[in-house]
Amino acid sequence: MAENNNSRNIRGRVVQKGYKRPEFDEQYDTTLDDVDAVFNDSEEHHVTEKKEEEPVALNAFELISMSAGLNLGNLFDSEQEFKRETRFTSKCPPKEIVRKIEEAAKPLGFDVQKKNYKLRLEKVKAGRKGNLNVATEILQVAPSLHMVEVRKAKGDTLEFHKFYKNLSKTLKDIVWKSDDVQMQYAA
Amino acid sequence: MGCASSKQFSRSAPVHEDPAVLASQTSCEHLMSSLPPSHTGNDGAAADCVTLTDPGCCGCCGCLCGSHGERLYKLYKKLSFSIVKDGLIHKEEFQLALFRNSNRANLFADRVFDLFDLKRNGVIDFEEFVRSLSVFHPKAHISEKTAFAFKLYDLRGTGYIEKEELREMVLALLDEFDLCLSESTVETIVDNTFSQADSNGDGRIDPEKWEEFVKKNPATLRNMSLPYLQDITMSLPSFIMHSEASD
Repeated sequence: MAENNNSRNIRGRVVQKGYKRPEFDEQYDTTLDDVDAVFNDSEEHHVTEKKEEEPVALNAFELISMSAGLNLGNLFDSEQEFKRETRFTSKCPPKEIVRKIEEAAKPLGFDVQKKNYKLRLEKVKAGRKGNLNVATEILQVAPSLHMVEVRKAKGDTLEFHKFYKNLSKTLKDIVWKSDDVQMQYAA
Repeated sequence: MGCASSKQFSRSAPVHEDPAVLASQTSCEHLMSSLPPSHTGNDGAAADCVTLTDPGCCGCCGCLCGSHGERLYKLYKKLSFSIVKDGLIHKEEFQLALFRNSNRANLFADRVFDLFDLKRNGVIDFEEFVRSLSVFHPKAHISEKTAFAFKLYDLRGTGYIEKEELREMVLALLDEFDLCLSESTVETIVDNTFSQADSNGDGRIDPEKWEEFVKKNPATLRNMSLPYLQDITMSLPSFIMHSEASD
């Protein structure tokens, strides 16, 4: 029976000394506090836990909240033009998903920071609005099914969109279902 | 699914181009009492928005003075004229906007539509649109978002979220994403969450338990904030002050 490890606020004790969080525009990142919290743990000097970490499990309400019917940002889509976040599901083991994302991102010119099942991808070359910074997280829906969320943390949304298109091409063999609303529901 | 005829609805107020005039026709008393005289004219000019400095204006109609508020109104106009050209948002238009498909039936979109439709007359008018959307403003109070989400998930409106409702919603989500999971897996997902939330094991989640659950799992309300609303509305604190007026 799952306990508080269902919480998205990871209390994992992981040290990453000397890691300096890149500055970025937090204006839109109301939802990235938990990711940032993980990457900001450099202030706490805790020992890495020896036990195997697992991806955070989505609770049923979090799962439900992914419905297109509950994401009213879609109402503004034509105004926004490109989405700032997207997700897909995979039947692959989570460790492999992490590995594949890393393998896919590096050749695209991204620096990869990993912590358990969260990754920060930062484009080495600066773009139109600074260095594109992408947060990804692997979450468990069920032991055999995981959801991968890919969100723009900083930078130009169009660049993010192009990045994601490239990424999904490379990852297509691990993607089971993607939530691209346009693809799924286009009449 | 047929389109409801606009003649069905008793609302007869014509839709005006000028958002300030439209606002004065809604029952948003905050806005009406606080709009300075110069803003009730028909010019709809993009003058400096006095609501920034005027603490009396609730801005609940998305700060209709000036260019920023007009963006919300323009969106509303687009949605409300997309199928039935009556300036009111019908279910099909809502579905079209969310799914690019006016015929797509979705349990969750239905729930949202019903909650937006405060007057329960089958359409969403501009005031309802703005009032409900304000809950989704990133700076809106967490208690408003919590309460809204609770009502969303209380499918039958019993005042509790029952396990069957949670199961129904999980199944609807899996169906929407075309994900096939075994019954036992679904049960495990439902059980795990439900037992976390139902702290006294009485088989249902009441608003207090829901609040506790959401506090421990803040990501549950992630979809309750739309960063875009912050982009297009100016008076942030006043945008959310209207909450006392609703209900």
